[in-house]
Amino acid sequence: MLAPISWLKDYVDINVSPSVLAKKLVAIGFEVEDIIYQEKQVSNVVVGKIVQVEKHPNADRLRVTQIDIGGKTLQVVTNVPVVGGEVVALSLDGARLANGLEIKTGELRGVKSEGMLCGLEELGLTVDSVEGQDEKDIIRFNDGTPLGENALVALGYNDVILDVSITANRPDCNGIFKLAKEVAVALGTECREPKINYKSVGGNVNDDVSVEVKNQALCPRYMAASVKNVKIFPSSQTIKSRLLAVGIRPINNIVDITNYVLTEIGQPMHAFDKRELGGNKIVVRNAKEDEIIVSLDGKENHLKEDMLVICDAEKPCAVAGIMGGLNSGIKDDTSEIVFESAKFARDSVRRTSRALNLRSDSSARFEKGIDFGSQELGLKRALTLIYETGSGDIQDGIIDVKVDYQKTREIEFTTRKIADILGCKVPKAKLVEILNKLGIEVKDNGKSLVAVIGEDRDDIVGVNDLAEEFIRVYGYGHVKPTLFEYSALTEGSKPSKIKFVDKVKNTMVACGLDEAVTYSFISAKFAEDLRLTDDDAARNAVKIMNPLGEALSVMRTSLTHSMLETLAYNKTHFVKQAKLFEVSKVYIPKSLPLEELPSEVETLSIGMYGEGIDFFFAKHAVEELMRALGKNAEYVRSTRPFLHPGRSAEVLLYGKSVGYVGEVHPDVQETYGIDNFRVYIAEINLDEVYDEAEFETRRKVQPFSKFPTVDRDLAVVVDDKYLAGDLLGAVKAAKIKYLTDMRVFDTYKSEQIGEGKKSVAMSFSFACLERTLTDEDVNAEMAKILSALKRKVGAKIR
Amino acid sequence: MKEKMDKIKNEALALIDSATNTAELNDVRVKYLGKSGEISALMRDMAGVPKEERPMVGKLVNEVRFAVEEALSKKTELLAQAEKVARLKAEEIDVTLPAIGNEMGTLHPLTIVKNELIDIFAGMGFSVVEGPEIESDLYNFQLLNVPKDHPARDMQDTFYINDNMVLRTQTSAVQARVMTTEKPPIRIVCPGKVYRSDDDASHSPIFNQFEGLAVDKHITMGDLKGCLETFAQKIFSKDTKVRLRPSYFPFTEPSVEVDVTCAMCHGKGCRICKGTGWVEILGAGIVNPVVLDMCGIDSKEYSGFAFGFGIDRIAMIKYGIPNIKMLYENDERFLKQFN
Repeated sequence: MLAPISWLKDYVDINVSPSVLAKKLVAIGFEVEDIIYQEKQVSNVVVGKIVQVEKHPNADRLRVTQIDIGGKTLQVVTNVPVVGGEVVALSLDGARLANGLEIKTGELRGVKSEGMLCGLEELGLTVDSVEGQDEKDIIRFNDGTPLGENALVALGYNDVILDVSITANRPDCNGIFKLAKEVAVALGTECREPKINYKSVGGNVNDDVSVEVKNQALCPRYMAASVKNVKIFPSSQTIKSRLLAVGIRPINNIVDITNYVLTEIGQPMHAFDKRELGGNKIVVRNAKEDEIIVSLDGKENHLKEDMLVICDAEKPCAVAGIMGGLNSGIKDDTSEIVFESAKFARDSVRRTSRALNLRSDSSARFEKGIDFGSQELGLKRALTLIYETGSGDIQDGIIDVKVDYQKTREIEFTTRKIADILGCKVPKAKLVEILNKLGIEVKDNGKSLVAVIGEDRDDIVGVNDLAEEFIRVYGYGHVKPTLFEYSALTEGSKPSKIKFVDKVKNTMVACGLDEAVTYSFISAKFAEDLRLTDDDAARNAVKIMNPLGEALSVMRTSLTHSMLETLAYNKTHFVKQAKLFEVSKVYIPKSLPLEELPSEVETLSIGMYGEGIDFFFAKHAVEELMRALGKNAEYVRSTRPFLHPGRSAEVLLYGKSVGYVGEVHPDVQETYGIDNFRVYIAEINLDEVYDEAEFETRRKVQPFSKFPTVDRDLAVVVDDKYLAGDLLGAVKAAKIKYLTDMRVFDTYKSEQIGEGKKSVAMSFSFACLERTLTDEDVNAEMAKILSALKRKVGAKIR
Repeated sequence: MKEKMDKIKNEALALIDSATNTAELNDVRVKYLGKSGEISALMRDMAGVPKEERPMVGKLVNEVRFAVEEALSKKTELLAQAEKVARLKAEEIDVTLPAIGNEMGTLHPLTIVKNELIDIFAGMGFSVVEGPEIESDLYNFQLLNVPKDHPARDMQDTFYINDNMVLRTQTSAVQARVMTTEKPPIRIVCPGKVYRSDDDASHSPIFNQFEGLAVDKHITMGDLKGCLETFAQKIFSKDTKVRLRPSYFPFTEPSVEVDVTCAMCHGKGCRICKGTGWVEILGAGIVNPVVLDMCGIDSKEYSGFAFGFGIDRIAMIKYGIPNIKMLYENDERFLKQFN
């Protein structure tokens, strides 16, 4: 909320600097986001007196002037027909004007010019902002204005405006007068009441208009007053300046009064042109389904039954609390008006405003909540302004249709309870003093205290609220830090799943990979980018209703897209080698549209490119992960459409795929803008890999032989179709008793071996726990191995 | 005989002395001590020595033999030593060449800071709990005292999935889940991703929050202050001070903003803290009794405090990261700095 200090001063004496005031407001819970000094809106524009005017030697239309800016005279070339003795606004070298123009000393047609004469526009002002200036001409001051003074100050444009952030629990402070009450608390001084002073001329409001409220739940209070013989004219400079200072454009006296009251009291007002109120009636009712109203901004709104409208005898004239109808506004020939000052339910205004996409200063205010206290104050303040400005004849009486409501509320409490919440000493006298200062009456009934809460503080409902009211004024410095002095000891712990994820991450780091963190939402185009088939379940992504853009519009079902984009980012930023991993959730809906929350599956993604990186480097990370988790994964060819068909594998655990590892398909690389080099990615569903009981079980140490290990190599020829894994699998299945280790260390093809064949060289290690193995033992084992290889993969010894 | 022996001895010793490698030395050994070597020949010549002189001559021959053997042995050792030195010298490498092998990777700064935070709070008895990122409106808002169409919803720009599901805007949603299922004493922290639909130079639509909740008998604002002071001093530095300012959150009452003394200037005032000496890092407060009751915890018996802050912000302060966006670009040249 913007609060001009000059306006606050109507209600409270402020004798401290704006920055000190800001600090004091922050201390009691009102954050000041900015302090705006009007006079600093432009710099280096000063008051100067023209002391000499001569013709420009080289240009008929230009004049060369000498301008006294207080102890210093500058030469300025201008095309404005000025005469000696005039006092003007002069922008000096280095000035930056409101339109962005920067002033520099220079030459105009060969004559030095040290500044420029300014009009209102150059200073960011209009005729509404300041008095006595012409919008089309340069600014002229009265003789006697101090020379060299900041021109904005000389124009009287020198208010200081606080931008105060009002928290959602204090809607009552969204008004200059209401905020002034808090300023008084912050400064330890008193706040004055708004001036209510008007005389009505007779007549009777009830003769002019009748009010019927059909839905009092959505409109608990509706007040109306009537003004006749209305004269429409521009508002006074004070009103115009104040409205402009808070960002409201002045229009005419009547509209300005409603805006002034909205700003000052926080009560939205509406002025109806009485000619537009058919049947001289105001009916507050729910709209009919698909009823139409064209609002003041020219928009046609189709209403729904849960929306509240203000109608005359026949038709809607306003969307309650949001905006008037196109014709109900104040016109130059308006002569009779009806003021509305109402309380509309905040939820209803908020819902309707959003549904119609219709917003106004009034709806913004109603959405925050208006208390019962401000309708009458607002209306009377508006009538006072009508009276003071001579804008019309106020008719006797005020219509007030309202529900029964409790004007005050009582909360019983003790100082002990407040002290228990805050954990600090609470002196009773201080507590009562502070609450009183905040307008809360406190009754002492001996055993306990009773706080009497007024109608403007809907937010105070319990002792905790009273504790806050007390401490925000008393000061949090009184709260001394303690550490659970009177509560139970608890054990801090980390769930198994988080330890598991830590282990996964640490394993990746040990493999040389750097952790990445990417956005959870991705482009809806991901399925096309990855060439997913139409029936791929990964296409079923949860959509965001209000995304920031198409590129961030669906919740990812896999990390692959993000990883490829991250690799592309690095490549285009000249990173020669990237080795990355990410552990994040993917979001798998159980059905679409969502009926229950989706599964959030912890997933590992690996991505890399650069010198020395190949399929096996990527696979190494996957293998190390499985080893760290005590799992034996198997690898079979993958058919995922975004992977190189010959260089990719599904990772199987117990026969089920838990992910993949492979080179990215060249077409997909091109899509992501990472072609012409090889990129490797892997993704593992960690939830499938994670088994809490297993993870928490410490694997027992296995015995190992203290006798010598015997190593044997074996080279066999097999059909090309068999993979190394097939050979190792065949041996494994044969359950060779003394075999402790085996690996494939070479495969090659040659003419000698024959077409469609390859040679596979393997090494085996044997040992026995009880004794040294003899040659015969090992020979027997090797025979079994060879026999298994012959049987399973048709191996022939080389 | 004596002269002959002296001659052989002197010759042998001279040859040994002049040998420059083990091969030459071996030649000397063969020449004198081999089967047909000169000293062996002397032994054979004993046959021609008169019987009474034999012991004396035998002794002399043995003396020659011992002298040569000893010299050989010494020289052998000397040469072996020299040859080893020579070999080691020849094997010299440039030790400033780069190491080979896989260099370690790095954890993301958000992970490093999160782990540090978990350790700090575990030390104060807080356990880690996680919750869903796609969350029901009930836990994200309603149970936290933010009904539908409540103005407090404007405090956070929310991504909606549908009318009843949102991308959680705050890890506080986990609080509500825990309070509806657990009985006090509760002391938990909830780290995780949160989402707000604002995206500009200083905001990321995704960031990470760290939420804390303690519910038990006799929990006070003093406990909150003490807990946060301990946290701030551990994560920043021992001299860090904590300041509470009144604020508003729907689920806490009283609510506070918490400032800490600037980690850059230690409270003196600098560019980072805009000259104030203080940096705002988190929101907190006493759990609103309304929230306790809604979640099924009797607010007459129990009280609690809650706090929440951005892990991103802590990481940025700790590491001097100038822009939150850098945390999500994953430029290797950035990530590699966190080893």
